[in-house]
Amino acid sequence: MVMSVSAPRCLQWSDREDYELEDYEAEVPRWCTGCGDLAILAAVQRLCRDEQLPLENLVFVSGIGCSSRFPHYMKTYGFHGLHGRALPVAEGIKLKRPDLHVFVNTGDGDCCSIGAAHWLHAIRYNMDMTVMLHDNEIYGLTKKQASPTSPKGLKSNTTPRGAYLEGLNPLATTLGVANVSFVAQAVDWAPAHLYEIISQAFHHKGLSFIRIVQRCPEFLPAHFDSFMQDPERLLLLTHEDGIPATPDLSRAYPQREVHDPSDINRAREIASLTDRIPIGILYRNEAAVCYEDVVGSDTLSTPKTVRTNLEAELDKFTVWPPSEEREGRG
Amino acid sequence: MSTGLRELVRFHLTGDGGGDDRREESGLRSALLAPYRDLSVLRYDFPLVLVERDDDGAIVRSLSSVVDGVLREIAPTGAEGERLRSHYLRLETAMRVLLSEGVEATLSELWGLAERKLLSESDETSAELLRDSLSRPGGAPRVDGEVIDCDDDTPARVFEHAWRAVQQERSRIALAEIDELLLKLSGILEADFQKSAEARDPKSLAGSMGDHVGDTFDFEAMSRVLRTVSSESSLSGSRRERIRSAISVLESQRFFEPAAEPVRDPGRAAAHSFVFDSCTRAWEIFRERIPEMVELVKAIGIAELELDNRYRESEHDALFDRFDETSLAPEDLALFPSYLVRLHDKDCEGSEKARCIEALSSGLPLKILVQMSDILGGPALANGQFTLGARGLQLAGMAVGMNGSFVLQSASSNLYQVRDRILRGLSYEGPALFSIFTGSVENAPGLPPYLEAASAMQSRAFPAFAYDPAAGPDWAARLDVAGNPQAEVDWPVHSFSYEDADLQRVSEEVAFTFVDFAASDKRYARHFAPVPPGDWNESLIPASEYLELADAEALDKVPYVSMVNGDDVLQKLVVDQQLIRAARRCSEMWRALQELGGIHNSHALNLLERERDVWEREKERELEELRERAVPAPASVAIQPADAIPAPAVEPEPEERSADEPYIETPRCTTCDECTELNGRMFAYDENKQAHIVDPSAGTYRELVEAAEACQVCIIHPGKPRNSDEPGLDELIRRAEPFN
Ligand SMILES: Cc1ncc(C[n+]2csc(CCOP(=O)(O)OP(=O)(O)O)c2C)c(N)n1
Ligand code: SF4
Ligand code: SF4
Ligand SMILES: [Mg+2]
Repeated sequence: MVMSVSAPRCLQWSDREDYELEDYEAEVPRWCTGCGDLAILAAVQRLCRDEQLPLENLVFVSGIGCSSRFPHYMKTYGFHGLHGRALPVAEGIKLKRPDLHVFVNTGDGDCCSIGAAHWLHAIRYNMDMTVMLHDNEIYGLTKKQASPTSPKGLKSNTTPRGAYLEGLNPLATTLGVANVSFVAQAVDWAPAHLYEIISQAFHHKGLSFIRIVQRCPEFLPAHFDSFMQDPERLLLLTHEDGIPATPDLSRAYPQREVHDPSDINRAREIASLTDRIPIGILYRNEAAVCYEDVVGSDTLSTPKTVRTNLEAELDKFTVWPPSEEREGRG
Repeated sequence: MSTGLRELVRFHLTGDGGGDDRREESGLRSALLAPYRDLSVLRYDFPLVLVERDDDGAIVRSLSSVVDGVLREIAPTGAEGERLRSHYLRLETAMRVLLSEGVEATLSELWGLAERKLLSESDETSAELLRDSLSRPGGAPRVDGEVIDCDDDTPARVFEHAWRAVQQERSRIALAEIDELLLKLSGILEADFQKSAEARDPKSLAGSMGDHVGDTFDFEAMSRVLRTVSSESSLSGSRRERIRSAISVLESQRFFEPAAEPVRDPGRAAAHSFVFDSCTRAWEIFRERIPEMVELVKAIGIAELELDNRYRESEHDALFDRFDETSLAPEDLALFPSYLVRLHDKDCEGSEKARCIEALSSGLPLKILVQMSDILGGPALANGQFTLGARGLQLAGMAVGMNGSFVLQSASSNLYQVRDRILRGLSYEGPALFSIFTGSVENAPGLPPYLEAASAMQSRAFPAFAYDPAAGPDWAARLDVAGNPQAEVDWPVHSFSYEDADLQRVSEEVAFTFVDFAASDKRYARHFAPVPPGDWNESLIPASEYLELADAEALDKVPYVSMVNGDDVLQKLVVDQQLIRAARRCSEMWRALQELGGIHNSHALNLLERERDVWEREKERELEELRERAVPAPASVAIQPADAIPAPAVEPEPEERSADEPYIETPRCTTCDECTELNGRMFAYDENKQAHIVDPSAGTYRELVEAAEACQVCIIHPGKPRNSDEPGLDELIRRAEPFN
């Protein structure tokens, strides 16, 4: 019975415009050669091209850090924000413009240190957006300070004798938050798999959180070498509802586990593995509530409604001179 | 045969003499209607409350259901709630009485009036109790709206109310979407304006901050800074013009209006009206508005394309130019409000009838309500046949035949029962015809309109049906006759009790036929002749039984109907042959409708018969075979398991290439820029932004080996050197070793 107003189909016809990957490229990235961020950027650009996403419907939001330079390199809308505040900005955008695809690129310092409070609440609010945590386990932009995810013993400019504490586990952390709806992990050096994860995250309705293990060859040159050189140290998660095992993937990653993404308990165990890096979709719950769906109002904020509501609000506190009492209150 | 009886047979066959011309004085009515003398003491569907659409989507409620709703909330079950229940039921009766006295009011007003009336009529103690009951928290009705009884105006009021509810919902949605388009279109213009020199002018910058800033802010300086940024407009003149004109069409449209607009913009033209009393007029106005509809549809189309950034002048200019009145498809028209046309049966003649048919067959969203007050027509007719309300029935029948129209036929007494159907018809995309019988006080002075309408439906003189083209592709899905009382049988049967001459209680089953309906109509009085009780004998049989007899069986029988007079004394009246013929025709029409509605469908029954034959023969044959062979039961066959293990995936053979050639495992490339930085002519990215070797001769073997060493994912394979003169080859070949 609810009928929507729309122009006849004969008037909606238009020639499809094909977007090439270059259409999404903005300036040449200023990241160091060899930086894992480049792989993430390429994967995202491939996704946009494959999905043929109109440039003007995309917005990339970030905080501060090397990884947070991401929006500059996408020829779309972007917001290079304040350190740690990518998520609240992204939430504001989504609330106001639910029609836009919102992506967030954040670093381990940006997200897990100064932005940790926002991070937890964003997971719980579960607003529809794709969040990529570029986790190089170091502050790159400020030249090698330990981050919350730096492993115990890592020598850096702030921990010359090695980091004192165990690193924070972003997967286990998010999997402990109420209303979490999508948690996945990828490594920057497995481009096909990284692409697949970002694509599934993009199609998930709700906040999809991907931790991407990202190399910083500038400050931690051999940091992930043991994982890169020994495929046995990666654990490929496969499932028909997650990333299915293809011959290519199976050949590259001999260590595999069939993991059902709806099983949060096993997901938490997998997240806590220390000897191997699990890659794949750890958890997915399509039924989790999105904040914007339950909080939104039906009325459109036209300038007129904003003005009327504001006037009504202010009128509550207006003291009318007795002579105007009647007209004023209408 | 006694003389009296002989007279009656003569009357029955010829219609001569004995006809009752004193109907008006005697207050006769069908015996089955005897218990309904005073409707205000009964609880039934009327009166109706025309409520604002509530959460359940209801737009009309019966007074009884509202009172029951209140009681469910406040009256505990059992004896405890008994007083509350009896008080609220008294209140309900009081409201019915007020209404029957001609009071016009909303539910809350009527409630208050009835309450005061009851209190004023009670003595002090009972008034105290009554006041206590009626003032319980939750004891007021949850809904409000006009209260209406069943009369000749009821359909018009119910339909107008329902139509408005549907339109308001449609307008609400349309306006929300139009507002959104407007907001976004203005956003495009606004964003572009912000790039203009005008927007960056110190004055306009200051204006955008409000006047409280004073000199704390240097807008001159801000303007100077902003002017250094590109101020190129991304909107062409034609695009801006197109967006502006779409905005102006969307803003000035007159088809959708907010339900309650506090202050109407004085400069704005009034919204269109869509309620008419003539099909011809509605049609004319509809045609007049087509250009406006075309404009609005085009503006929406432009807005949608512009907002998606898909408007291409080379394509769309011509497309939009060509779009005119002939391009509007029915689904486009369905966006707009429908037109409500309120007619009476007497209007449905001549050109107006032709217009109705044309409108219904053209698929235009016209919702035509035909209120019928007379389905029998006058008795003076050509070749002795009654018209049987041919006027109205024909129109509904024709409308069904047109397939694309929604058709609802019902007596007004049943409007509450068909409330959902009414909404469906009004929301249906195409045209709809609602044919509603209201009865007329003039023709049936002894009966309240509710009873007359109800008996038209009971007697099959005005059967109810709904034809809903949106319900499915076939008749089974579309046509529904289930709304008729006892739809499976020819005439509905009710039990009837009375006291005989010896004051003994007698109960019998009595069918309500077409004859009973006609008996209430004063114009037909002369087709009935009263039988003095002394002449009651076995030759007299109820009309319903008589109608079932073959001609030969009927020879020595005389049909009668039971009626009661104003004092509720039972009467038998002989019915003349002419009326019996009319009743037969009525029953034939009813059976045809039953068939269409899937009841006793002859095709289905034949098919069933044939299938049953086939099935029985088949079973017989199988049994025969079994008996003949009498073989032992077959040994169970082991089921072959399906190959559960999928064949191992065939791994694609790596491409055949010479070990001397350099290459990159491109799909594993992480786009890290190492090799491309090293030599951009030798290494380049493909369309996926992954590296491959474009030209091995564009650089040295040394560069190949260095790239292989720099590549963190070790996917560059340098192969063998091409130029044997390159210096330091031995060492390079050794370094290349691990990567080949
Ligand atoms: C409020 C605030 N505090 C501190 C800084 C300094 N700062 C800039 S980037 C950064 C850490 C970035 O680390 P990460 O988020 O891991 O990004 P990466 O460079 O590693 O990609 C810090 C502490 C800042 N810019 N703002
Ligand atoms: S410092 Fe590290 S993280 Fe930053 S761009 Fe360079 S390699 Fe990448
Ligand atoms: S060095 Fe290796 S990973 Fe980097 S771009 Fe070249 S081939 Fe790709
Ligand atoms: Mg970092």
